Amino acid sequence: MTMRADAGTLSPEEAIRLISAVAKGRDRAAFAALFGFYAPRLKAFMMRSGMTASAAEDVAQETMLLVWKKASYFDPRRAGVSTWIFTIARNVRIDRLRRESRPATVARAFDPSDEVDGPVSGEAAVMTAEREERVRSAIAMLSSEQAQILRLSFFGDKPQSEIAGELGIPLGTVKSRVRLALGRLRLILDDLK
Amino acid sequence: MKHHPSDETLFRFASGSLESGPRIVVGVHVGGCTACAARISEFEAVGGALLSGIEPEEMGEDALDRLVARIEADSDSSGEAALRSRPTRADVGIRLPEALDGCGIGPWRWIGPGVRWSRVTIPEDASANVMLLKVAAGRRLPEHTHSGCEYTQVLKGSFYDARGRYGPGDLDEADDEIQHQPVVDETGECICLAALEGRMRLRGFFGRLVQPFIGG
Repeated sequence: MTMRADAGTLSPEEAIRLISAVAKGRDRAAFAALFGFYAPRLKAFMMRSGMTASAAEDVAQETMLLVWKKASYFDPRRAGVSTWIFTIARNVRIDRLRRESRPATVARAFDPSDEVDGPVSGEAAVMTAEREERVRSAIAMLSSEQAQILRLSFFGDKPQSEIAGELGIPLGTVKSRVRLALGRLRLILDDLK
Repeated sequence: MKHHPSDETLFRFASGSLESGPRIVVGVHVGGCTACAARISEFEAVGGALLSGIEPEEMGEDALDRLVARIEADSDSSGEAALRSRPTRADVGIRLPEALDGCGIGPWRWIGPGVRWSRVTIPEDASANVMLLKVAAGRRLPEHTHSGCEYTQVLKGSFYDARGRYGPGDLDEADDEIQHQPVVDETGECICLAALEGRMRLRGFFGRLVQPFIGG
């Protein structure tokens, strides 16, 4: 199996099509396409949150394995594919951090919130797609400084003190900037509704 | 429902950086609050947008092949089914929210006149500081401060302090700047799910909680 060369973009609609191909037909080519796009981004995401390259690659692999196993749980009414995969990776990462601090732990592969609950209505899926689009526009509307602080605080484990060091500003300033950035995000999101 | 987690807390819940104790308490709140659930979906979508927009890092050359080999090996084996033993759950007299389904629930223990607590154990993280608190009607909790944030979700009854009244479904998020002395309403006992941020602070918190009763 070879990796697709054109893994630079993947539209939300195409991603949904690929996931359902994996869910319904156990389609390996569709999975390879998802892998080609998401695995390198998952790895980058994890590295940004402070993991070594090899740990980040492990999390990417683990996440993609769950994407294969749980594709039938994907529900376009709840989230877009990127968001869904992000939440899986987030949970893999949480489990991994817990295992590191307590080796005997049994991995909890999934949140109960990932359970499917009934047939997909087209309308709800459209609303979800709209929400995701709204969030993307909202991020684009933040000032570059606000977007940066949001990104930094999103990439997980990095304590705010470290972010403060990185940006060369006091800790209290980081806290208030995060608060301000979130306040602005909330305003924009509610405005776009 | 009047009191909700702050946006920062919901953001940390969505990004995965909230500790497991606070995470479970906020999870109980979100399970019963559509507004906060919607907010979390938005913040998770921020994660999705950051993920799809990030500059990719090349995976190891044979990464996909190795993963496919794992998938094939996996479908041969008869399921992973690592059945976890069900945690022990004492009957605490109320129906507990679904978000606590996998947790162990200890029996009520007396820690002072009109105040009982029960330890809640999270299977994935036994060191998390989570507890149920049951406080009798009209009872005043000793004034306390804490070094980390304290998250309290009301399951039954209500209490109030200088900041307002907290009823079923409300979440009280009290940071280290807040010094409060919650009083339970006269109408009945109050049961809360509470978690403290930080690992070793349970003792300190309970120390302060119990101290006035034991006359220390």
